Amino acid sequence: MNFDFDLIINSIPLLILGAGVTLQITLLSVGFGMFIGMFMGMARLSKIWAVKMVATVYVDFIRGTPLLVQIFLMYFALPVVTGQRIDPFVAAVTACSINSGAYIAEIFRGGIQSIDKGQMEAGRSLGMSWPQTMRYIILPQAFKRIIPPLGNEFIAMLKDSSLVSVIGFEELTRRGQLIIARTYGSFEIWMTVAFLYLIMTLTISRLVDYLERRYKIDDKH
Amino acid sequence: MISIKNLHKKFGNLHVLRGVDLKVEEREVVVIIGPSGSGKSTILRCINYLEEPSEGEIIVDGITLNKQESVINKVRAEVGMVFQRFNLFPHMTVLENIELAPVKVRKMSAKEAETVALDLLDKVGLADKAHAYPEQLSGGQQQRVAIARALAMRPRVMLFDEPTSALDPEMVKEVLDVMKTLVKDGMTMVVVTHEMGFAREVGSRVIFIDEGRIIEEGTPNEVFYNAKEERTKTFLSKIL
Repeated sequence: MNFDFDLIINSIPLLILGAGVTLQITLLSVGFGMFIGMFMGMARLSKIWAVKMVATVYVDFIRGTPLLVQIFLMYFALPVVTGQRIDPFVAAVTACSINSGAYIAEIFRGGIQSIDKGQMEAGRSLGMSWPQTMRYIILPQAFKRIIPPLGNEFIAMLKDSSLVSVIGFEELTRRGQLIIARTYGSFEIWMTVAFLYLIMTLTISRLVDYLERRYKIDDKH
Repeated sequence: MISIKNLHKKFGNLHVLRGVDLKVEEREVVVIIGPSGSGKSTILRCINYLEEPSEGEIIVDGITLNKQESVINKVRAEVGMVFQRFNLFPHMTVLENIELAPVKVRKMSAKEAETVALDLLDKVGLADKAHAYPEQLSGGQQQRVAIARALAMRPRVMLFDEPTSALDPEMVKEVLDVMKTLVKDGMTMVVVTHEMGFAREVGSRVIFIDEGRIIEEGTPNEVFYNAKEERTKTFLSKIL
């Protein structure tokens, strides 16, 4: 086998651009996902039956179907209903955000449930409303506890975002495919793609470790 | 100040309160005693609706409690509660713990809230701990902060749910002393406690409750030394 080192060198700028897009889509998806997940996580704990039901159906549906199918639903099936073509980037970010939101909802639910019941009672006994108590007392404490699982979700999303290559969206994996179609350098390019993913996931997991340690030192604050 | 009529509370099949009638007048200090599981804490928790009564009527400071959030929050703002396990907010300093509710509920300015908080900290003898975090304080100190936190709302009534039960013995006195100063200030208080010395010294009335019913009530002397009911005598003989 001929190992074409020049091919790697020449492809790297394009692949790094693709990695940038991957990172962008991941950041956006997990960002929106946190927003969705925070409310859905609280909804899962609601005493109001309908609210709880909506959140449960959402989480079950998303976690019980493949992300790839969700991307297809968003990109191919939805336009059939609406009659409007959807931009690949919008479809990719929307599908990934909705997907991430379901996993993050469960993370938030666990985090909120891990906070001592006495905290909610103390807040409520002072006359604060449920949203006030959530906002000022429960969520700030829960948030510190869920940093590690949120980090894991971020890494999972970063890897899973490679699936949006199937709708032609040019993130890292898709860029790799396109270069191979032109150059036939499967081995070199896929190794480089894998390596770029690895650099990103390792960096993020170190970052999460650091955050976790920092919050452990002043655990309660 | 507080009027409870025919209060029932069921947890599933467990009938914890079986028809409690209780009136607490302004400036009165009512001490509730009784075996564990008798429902004494549940009465307190129904007064500020931390538990929803299954049946009965509760009127606090002229407001009849019902399910409505606005009514509940209004009553809670007037009723301070101190918990057995303090329940301070661990992610906030002592000062922030005390300031939070006055700012968010009473819409006090930050500056005003700080003045109030520092004043109260001084009152409970912890002025030097304003910027400490709860975990840096002893149990007794935490409970005194919890009392200051409740007082910052300027409540009309204070509820104490076994405030010294989770404390090491040497810290009980400092908490009771703070509670006694409240009595001197004329605060209306309902206290669930096993501290008989406290009950005798400052209690206006002692209520003995067992199996969800009030068995006996009277002045501390009447209940402690001249109990009429056999069940009261049996209970007192175990704890005195």
